[in-house]
Amino acid sequence: MSSVSDTDESKSRLERIAGYLLDATVLERIGIAVGATAFALLIGLVIVALAGYDPFRFATQLVVGAFGSERAIARTLRFSTLFVLAGLAVAVAFRAGVFNIGVQGQFVVGGIACVMSIIWTAPYLPTGTVGGVLLIGIGVVNAIVFGGLYGALPGALKAYAGANEIITTIMLNFIAIGVVGWLVNGPFRGEEATSVRTEQLPDYVAFPQVVFSDPNFSVVGFGIAVLSVIGVAFVLTRTRYGYDMVTSGYQATAARFSGVDSKQTIVATMTLSGMIAGLTGAVFAIMIQGSYTDPAGIGNYGFDGIAVSLLAANNPIGVVPAGILFGGLESAGSHIQIRSDVPVQLINGIIGLVVLFVAVPELFRMIGARMGLGGDDR
Amino acid sequence: MSDDGLLQQRWVRLGASAAVVLVVLGAVGSMMFGWDLERLLTVGFVNRSLQMATPITLAAIGGLYAEKSGVFNIGLEGFMIIGAISTAGVLFALGGTTPSQGDIWIAMVAAVLVSLVLTAIFAVLLIDYQADQIVAGLAVWFIGLGFAPFVASLVWGSRNSPGLASIDNVTVPGLSEIPWIGPVVFDQSPLVLLTLVLVIASWVFLYRTRYGYWVQAAGENPKALDTAGVNVTRVRYATVLFSGAMAGFGGAVLLAHAGNFVGTGDTMVNGRGWIAIVAYLFGNYNPLGAAAAAVLFGGLDMLQVQFQTAGIDVPSRLVNLFPYVIVIVVLSVWGKTRMPSAVGESYDQEE
Repeated sequence: MSSVSDTDESKSRLERIAGYLLDATVLERIGIAVGATAFALLIGLVIVALAGYDPFRFATQLVVGAFGSERAIARTLRFSTLFVLAGLAVAVAFRAGVFNIGVQGQFVVGGIACVMSIIWTAPYLPTGTVGGVLLIGIGVVNAIVFGGLYGALPGALKAYAGANEIITTIMLNFIAIGVVGWLVNGPFRGEEATSVRTEQLPDYVAFPQVVFSDPNFSVVGFGIAVLSVIGVAFVLTRTRYGYDMVTSGYQATAARFSGVDSKQTIVATMTLSGMIAGLTGAVFAIMIQGSYTDPAGIGNYGFDGIAVSLLAANNPIGVVPAGILFGGLESAGSHIQIRSDVPVQLINGIIGLVVLFVAVPELFRMIGARMGLGGDDR
Repeated sequence: MSDDGLLQQRWVRLGASAAVVLVVLGAVGSMMFGWDLERLLTVGFVNRSLQMATPITLAAIGGLYAEKSGVFNIGLEGFMIIGAISTAGVLFALGGTTPSQGDIWIAMVAAVLVSLVLTAIFAVLLIDYQADQIVAGLAVWFIGLGFAPFVASLVWGSRNSPGLASIDNVTVPGLSEIPWIGPVVFDQSPLVLLTLVLVIASWVFLYRTRYGYWVQAAGENPKALDTAGVNVTRVRYATVLFSGAMAGFGGAVLLAHAGNFVGTGDTMVNGRGWIAIVAYLFGNYNPLGAAAAAVLFGGLDMLQVQFQTAGIDVPSRLVNLFPYVIVIVVLSVWGKTRMPSAVGESYDQEE
């Protein structure tokens, strides 16, 4: 009897310790993220100084450009919307141990699918609000479907042919950009378009303007991003499917023994990741572009999504603050481009540095957590 | 002995698959689209393909050494970008928009040194601080994608450089008149010839010297190497440094052939570092195989020029995607290459 209660007691103590560790690692993660960002920004400022510009002025412009006015805040939230969604797409895959570097390509495929499906079906539907809502629905569904398919392809190639997904997804990025670039300049080019782009979406296909009056931002877009985060967090933590995904990422052997079909899980993960990337493409097309241009020049949201996800330790909830931070950086970049001589590409370099610094202590933390918890279990 | 047998088998498979790809492409093209094959396969095409293959080959050899020793250097693409921008910057500093041939060589050496210094930092993070190799490698790419256009903007006020200078061919009088072989061998970019030497040297080093066996052992069985009294960490440092230097040199060669820096989009490197990784996987971690695969990708990359001269009307934007498509096909058919068993694992040296 007493031995049973002993084990019970030690078990509950173990759980307490585990809970404490979990809290500690969350704090630790936040610490790593803040440290990596601060260090990267510091190096950025040193480079600004070395290049002969005033680093204090640059730092001030970073803050003013990101949060200094209502316009700046709307612009920050506009970029944040895309970064949160793209970061979420990456996080889903990374969490399951699948390196989907192809979010950019899935984003492009989703975006063009959204725009073309709306343009092609618009003549058959009523105009006005009802038609607008219907068309947005059609566009979003198509974006999700095509983005998901474009993600499923490298997933299937990894699962069933052993092709390294890092490389196939990077190749598929180049292919998506090349093919869509050719399409918008050829078969899909708008008849009255003076530049390389598709036809414009009808006026009534737009998110309503609430709170902010920025033609390229709507709170609805940001709401979609937040809802997606909540949805994904729910799927990952509260459903069998999400549980299988995460365990096959962190404990491949354990997942196999508990009967998870790892191949199916890989394909499912990549599909879900691609679907979110496609949704990102739809939000970008409807909220910002209103048509589709050559994807070679639309910004690397998919790549920045990788940085966002890593900064958030691949945690879906963490993607929100990380996405807002990067949105702020990008928004400051637009401000700096106009107001200062410092080449704006520096911002991308800083983002690269953030990723580099996140890569290093992240592993320390993982090893620590794995050894600590693994030891206690036994 | 069985290693050699396996090697030969691999070779036959590599050669056969490359040949099959080319024959199928040619047959489909000539039958369905009426291509004029004689106008496609010209001396100029062979030369352009070889020149396009050199940067890929150099980066691939560096990458395979690192991976053979147990470190996956996924940052090749980034180091190539760093090599290209460094060469362009030094070249411009030395001779403005009219640098001499000597300046090109100095600039390339400088670029290799810059890559070496940055790789040293990368190696410390990877080996001593056990950074996540994939994430850190991606970071190198992002850093290159950000800072190279930044430097270009600082120096030239634009993401692209003006025309600088490209390297002249080495022409042997008389011999270069020999049909076919002459213009390919005796009227060729010195960098192509240098790369050929490096390919052979790195093969000999890897498979025929003691140090080469250390590299292989560091990736296959680090414990045994350690027991034999060789410092695994030191071997890995050497190969990672070598891989960064070679990728940087690849970027330098790319620039020396092109003659100007392009920093728009994914920069002028445009995925060649990633293709280099596939080239050495396809070549089964063998420098000769990697070079052969690189020539295949270089040829695919240059098909667009051939199509134009032969009057075949295919949108160049789509033809440019050929290498990327083939990479996916190759990986899917050949995906299950056997990686060195300790790749990606950091090793705690026992003092």
